[in-house]
Amino acid sequence: MTMSRPRKVFFRRRKVCKFCADKIDYIDYKDVKLLQQFIPERSKILPRRISGTCATHQRPLQQAIKRARHLALIPFTTD
Amino acid sequence: MRTYELVFIVDPRVSDEDVVTLIQEYKQMISAGGSEISLEENWGRRKLAYPIDKLTEGKYVLLGVTSQDGKTSLAEVEHRMRQNDKILRYLTVRTDEDLKRAARRKPAGSGGPESGIGSGTGSGSGAGAAEAPDDDDVEIGDQP
Repeated sequence: MTMSRPRKVFFRRRKVCKFCADKIDYIDYKDVKLLQQFIPERSKILPRRISGTCATHQRPLQQAIKRARHLALIPFTTD
Repeated sequence: MRTYELVFIVDPRVSDEDVVTLIQEYKQMISAGGSEISLEENWGRRKLAYPIDKLTEGKYVLLGVTSQDGKTSLAEVEHRMRQNDKILRYLTVRTDEDLKRAARRKPAGSGGPESGIGSGTGSGSGAGAAEAPDDDDVEIGDQP
């Protein structure tokens, strides 16, 4: 019955927000090790659709990265 | 009650003793403005992620400030830092609101996320059809 219409089934690993999973509520701009996970090679902020971070946590994450950049803890860009 | 964090980067050519006196000076200004120093961390020499004023290193200092009535002299301190060219960067962040929000979220979000993950993995019953999606992907992929 269900085969009457070809159904596309995608198997993709379910992405989980790291901050929800690890119960990190306050994202510290001084925690370089943590922030580094969200800045790939080009030092851009990793988008939500890639990292799976929820909106509630992406917002403070973005803020923290920008603060860390200002203090030269993480780079704006890599050349 | 308000809490702030104040981070600043001092020119690495400034000697450690001078950095200490500089910190002392700012601390005095802060306490004169009616707030307390709750935290003091001297991170020392650290490599900068990018050069500032052609310098590749800097001395980092972190100060935690607590103000009971919400009045601080931090604006004044910032003004002084701006004028001091030994200070490469400074950043003042108010932390009480974010910390309070984080504390509120902690008790509420205890069971929620886990149950969500559980339901997600439960959908793996159709493992036999795992071959099919690969073919679909090929079809979808742009082939003229």
